[in-house]
Amino acid sequence: MKRWWQRSALAENELFVSSLSSVLAIVIGLLFGFLLMVVVSPSESIQGFRIILTGGFNDGLLSVGSMIVFATPLIFTGLSVAFAYRTGLFNIGASGQLMMGALAATAVGVPQWWRYEGELRIAMDNPFLQLGSWHWVAALLAALLAGALWGLIPGVLKAYFNVNEVVATIMLNYIAMFVNSLVITRYLFNSLIGRAFSVVPTALFPRMGMENIFTDGLRSSQANVSFFIAIFFVIVIYFVLNYTVFGYELKAVGFNRDAARYAGMNAKRNLMLSMMISGGLAGMGGASLYLFAGRNLDPVLQILPQGFDGIAIALLGLGSPIGVFFAGMFFSSLKVGGQFLQLLSFRIEIIDIIISVVIYLAALSLILNRLVLYVLKREKQ
Amino acid sequence: MKKLLTLMLSVTLVFGLAACAETATEPTPTTPEETTPEETTPETPTFRIAMVTDIGDIDDRSFNQGTWEGVVAFAERNNITHRYYRPLEGGTAASLDAIALAVQGGAEIIVTPGFLFEPAIFQAQQLYPNVRFVLIDGVPQPGDFSEFLVAQNTVSILFDEHESGFLAGYAAVQDGFRELGYFGGVAVPAVVRFGVGFIAGANYAAEELGVTISLGSDRFDYFGSFAPSDDNKNAAAAWYLQGTEIIFVAAGGAGASVMAAAEEAGAKVIGVDVDQAGESTTVVTSALKQLGVVVEQALQAWLDGAFPGGETQVKGASNQGVGLPADFSRFNNPAATEAAYDAIYPLVASGEIDVPATYEELVAFLTAEGISTANIPLQSDVE
Amino acid sequence: METIIEMRGIRKAFPGVVANDNINLVVAPGEIHAILGENGAGKSTLMSILFGLYKADRGEIFLRGEPVSIDNPNDATRLGIGMVHQHFKLVHNFTVTENIVLGQEDRANGLIQLEEAKQKIIALSDQYGLKVNPDSLIEDISVGMQQRVEILKMLYRDADILIFDEPTAVLTPQEVQELINVMRELSNEGKTIILITHKLHEIKSIADRVTVLRKGAQVAVLDVATSSIADMAEAMVGRPVVFDLQKAESTPGDVVLSVRGLSVYSPVYKKNVVNDMTFDVRRGEILCIAGVEGNGQTQLIEAIAGLTESQGEVWLLGENISDDSIRERNLKGISHIPEDRHKHGLVLDFKLSNNLILQNYFEPPMQRRMMLNFSNINEFSASLIERFDVRSGKGIHTNTRSMSGGNQQKAIIAREVIRDTDLLIAVQPTRGLDVGAIEYIHQQLIAQRDQGKAVLMVSLELDEVLSVSDRILVMFEGNHMGEFDAATVSDSELGVAMAGGNR
Ligand SMILES: Nc1ncnc2c1ncn2[C@@H]1O[C@H](COP(=O)(O)OP(=O)(O)OP(=O)(O)O)[C@@H](O)[C@H]1O
Ligand SMILES: [Mg+2]
Repeated sequence: MKRWWQRSALAENELFVSSLSSVLAIVIGLLFGFLLMVVVSPSESIQGFRIILTGGFNDGLLSVGSMIVFATPLIFTGLSVAFAYRTGLFNIGASGQLMMGALAATAVGVPQWWRYEGELRIAMDNPFLQLGSWHWVAALLAALLAGALWGLIPGVLKAYFNVNEVVATIMLNYIAMFVNSLVITRYLFNSLIGRAFSVVPTALFPRMGMENIFTDGLRSSQANVSFFIAIFFVIVIYFVLNYTVFGYELKAVGFNRDAARYAGMNAKRNLMLSMMISGGLAGMGGASLYLFAGRNLDPVLQILPQGFDGIAIALLGLGSPIGVFFAGMFFSSLKVGGQFLQLLSFRIEIIDIIISVVIYLAALSLILNRLVLYVLKREKQ
Repeated sequence: MKKLLTLMLSVTLVFGLAACAETATEPTPTTPEETTPEETTPETPTFRIAMVTDIGDIDDRSFNQGTWEGVVAFAERNNITHRYYRPLEGGTAASLDAIALAVQGGAEIIVTPGFLFEPAIFQAQQLYPNVRFVLIDGVPQPGDFSEFLVAQNTVSILFDEHESGFLAGYAAVQDGFRELGYFGGVAVPAVVRFGVGFIAGANYAAEELGVTISLGSDRFDYFGSFAPSDDNKNAAAAWYLQGTEIIFVAAGGAGASVMAAAEEAGAKVIGVDVDQAGESTTVVTSALKQLGVVVEQALQAWLDGAFPGGETQVKGASNQGVGLPADFSRFNNPAATEAAYDAIYPLVASGEIDVPATYEELVAFLTAEGISTANIPLQSDVE
Repeated sequence: METIIEMRGIRKAFPGVVANDNINLVVAPGEIHAILGENGAGKSTLMSILFGLYKADRGEIFLRGEPVSIDNPNDATRLGIGMVHQHFKLVHNFTVTENIVLGQEDRANGLIQLEEAKQKIIALSDQYGLKVNPDSLIEDISVGMQQRVEILKMLYRDADILIFDEPTAVLTPQEVQELINVMRELSNEGKTIILITHKLHEIKSIADRVTVLRKGAQVAVLDVATSSIADMAEAMVGRPVVFDLQKAESTPGDVVLSVRGLSVYSPVYKKNVVNDMTFDVRRGEILCIAGVEGNGQTQLIEAIAGLTESQGEVWLLGENISDDSIRERNLKGISHIPEDRHKHGLVLDFKLSNNLILQNYFEPPMQRRMMLNFSNINEFSASLIERFDVRSGKGIHTNTRSMSGGNQQKAIIAREVIRDTDLLIAVQPTRGLDVGAIEYIHQQLIAQRDQGKAVLMVSLELDEVLSVSDRILVMFEGNHMGEFDAATVSDSELGVAMAGGNR
């Protein structure tokens, strides 16, 4: 005999079944976090768990704003990885593309550049300053282009020299890191703070009155238009992948390059375009991180983690743009909400542990997937 | 399928065990210094003294740690609740969020280490007029340095880095080192002051002893970053190979690269900011900013009801704000060097020796002391 | 009767389709038992249940009289069951030996003992005449040898029940004969064999009994000795099958495809695998390239389609297309049923409708302003499925990977035939199809011819070559061995040419 849920049409719906496995991963991760809190401090565990569940809503609209801000680059990089994945490519280089995007956005946005005459360092005005209120758009486009270019390199290497994109993108992460450090210290360096110059106000993402919404009356969050740009691209990518001829080709090339070629598609061109789009998305993630008041690019030799987080988010979002949006918001909610654990006697690393468990389980989602199917389909003998 | 289930279970178990192991070896993921006894009410406890960390962790062996040690020492002595808060990420907004959290947690006074907090404190001091702020190593400004404003509920604490550098250079030469070198992270003002003071101190001691030292243009450089890297290590290794005996490295985390090179070359290092002796046995001494001391001074003033709000205090030798660690055992001649140090410290503190802070002052200082400026680094190297 | 296998009341449903419905399979020890059925009848599914790949929704399995539960292939292996799948499951960059021992590695001191395994493999291959080189990489050996590896894999695991899922579909006639000999040998050794095949004469020549499935149901169990080929075909299809293809005289018209001095160089073999080929295909005729597998047919077709670099010229309808891209060639009038349906023919992870538009997705009405027009796509796909009788669980929404092999092939044929181009290239178009479907495809090819299309076919099966084509071109080691009139040529003439004689 079949149970009711096994008979329902939902059990046949692959999307439903696979989403269930992601949800399961999240639930197990959260329960694990709860368990950890019970061990650490039983008396506060309930309260702590409530804080985790409340997430980005802990401090009303103000922290909702913070959640949006934190989620934006993650949505961009998640989208970048997911898009590449759907077209058969493993983009481990979202971090590098994001850093190049951040660098380009900063370069366009800062008030001045250094130029050199011999050993002599001379300040020069940034020509982009003349753009006025379009300044931030130029900075965003620069980030998009820089990321796309950084994605194109492994695309070309794969298309023409059959270099595995995983290897190439990892290497390019490091190259991006060094390029960042070099360009910042030589051309964009503010020696007063040891970082790049601050971006001028015209180059910041407009806040569009959101400072009046995401506020607690005293302070406002930095929520800005970049969140909506990210949503816009979630929709665009969803649309491209599912409804356009271009998306159809990209997926065909991704799933089976030989068959795509047989059908007359230009597999090489599609592959390179795919990597460019993926890189461009990550690049905009970089802009969303740094076209931002009070944040300055640091020449420190460190690969920004958002690109790697993007892999986890793409995984949890099942490679779908809509899924990526929710996964990014979920991550951000945990992170922002986790801050409030500090009011109790918990370390915020608990959040990182929960996230690790969720990712780990999401990576096992293939197995979980089957488990869900098994439970749904099993017949009582 | 059964196998699958078993697999799942074992995965969960492994996870569980790992987590238990973690919590077992590290039994206090809570802030260990919590002084409130077993809290039974679900009410959120309050923490009167708060610190907000910069992006690094609390045990960074640098600013966070040095500052926190001062907070803990003071709070425990006076039995006051205290806590540190980590911001979600870098940048002003996240720092402000953490400050807000500290306020929510009942903070009456908030300590923030490092100049990167300048813009955050600039806003916070106005947002929370009833909370006191101690900003170490910086002066509140809106982020573009267009104005500096220390509000009535804030005290800014700066350091005379040049005095600290002077003392380190002086002690090194007194101890017998002749071949010296200096690596800065990036040529920001504080780092430049360390270097200028170091040149002054070394040359001053050399003049006293009537010896010649080498600390010229080829031994004075900046890494261009504060992060350790192989490049940095190679640069230091090259200097050691050319006979440099000791390098003063004012470059935060990048100091590790120099220490690694020193370990391979069997040479020495002078650390910076906090006592870095624990990081490598090659660290002979460190040019300190006495973070703990100044934090305790500020907290004491607050407790005494004499919070010096609105003031920018510069802590130098005159108020024990800078100096070398008390442990001289790693010097070649611990006793003699310590004696020389103890002799020179009051002179610096009293202003009898007016340690230069800029290159111009350095040239003037050396000229006044009758020391040749022929062999010191060029201005373009220093600034 | 003594039985070794008894499957009772087996039922297995997939979304939208009942693949097996109350099947009772009874096999005696030492028997060669054939399973016959149309494409999608559920043969592979039934065997996958026996091999533990699928779990039956209902029903029981008895082995040697004992009830057993077979949850996975390891259980099956333990119970002495081995299976050679329709699409082989070998690791391409492993050696023959490594593939055979995979999962059964003998580990002493934690190291895999390959040398011993190799000796055992050599012994087995001598015993049954299964020639393999234990040290070759799978990717370097022929399909026939890959199959021998699969058989050795079963024997290595001491299987005494051997399942062959369409083993002969991919073999040359000579290899088929060798395989039949091997199976006889195995059967004499006392092993039990279950054989899935669409080729009725193979059943006739080797099997003892045959179980016939139709649309998931068991319709007959026949004694091969007392049943004719026509009996079996009728039981399977449910109506009498015409084996004699009816076709009118061909009336060749203008030249459609003209190949001039075409050569393909292979960097692997360091020689031309297609050498200076020159021939024409005209409207209203079917030209068939005959030859033993691996004599350059594949590369010749790929060169014409533009998939491979080549020297020489290809002309289509009086236009030199030698430098055109694949897309341009397709648009100028080439349809191509490719040899390897999984490599070139299908995007297995697409749903069926997406595969059916693989050649026209970019054209209206499938597309409007570069957006896929789903209502037109669905309508178009549904009409193809209906017209070509492509069977699957969820119609146009079926995941192509889950379709039966024969129905995957039908989907490709539907897509290519419907394009209505001047030249139709069909490489082994009936590989893996049931007799009914073969009949239908052959009729389609002839219908295309009769509509004035030029048809270029490649086939390894002499029967097919002789019955479908009008002219036959024989290839040997990349060379043109002569052209023959299909109506008058004798088997032996062809055989000599295919073996490279009479040069
Ligand atoms: N994994 C699966 N998911 C969904 N449907 C499936 C799956 N496997 C098989 N089917 C469906 O079950 C039916 C029987 O398939 P099966 O592969 O057993 O056919 P077959 O008799 O082996 O055909 P062929 O001769 O073409 O290989 C087909 O309609 C097929 O589409
Ligand atoms: Mg089959």
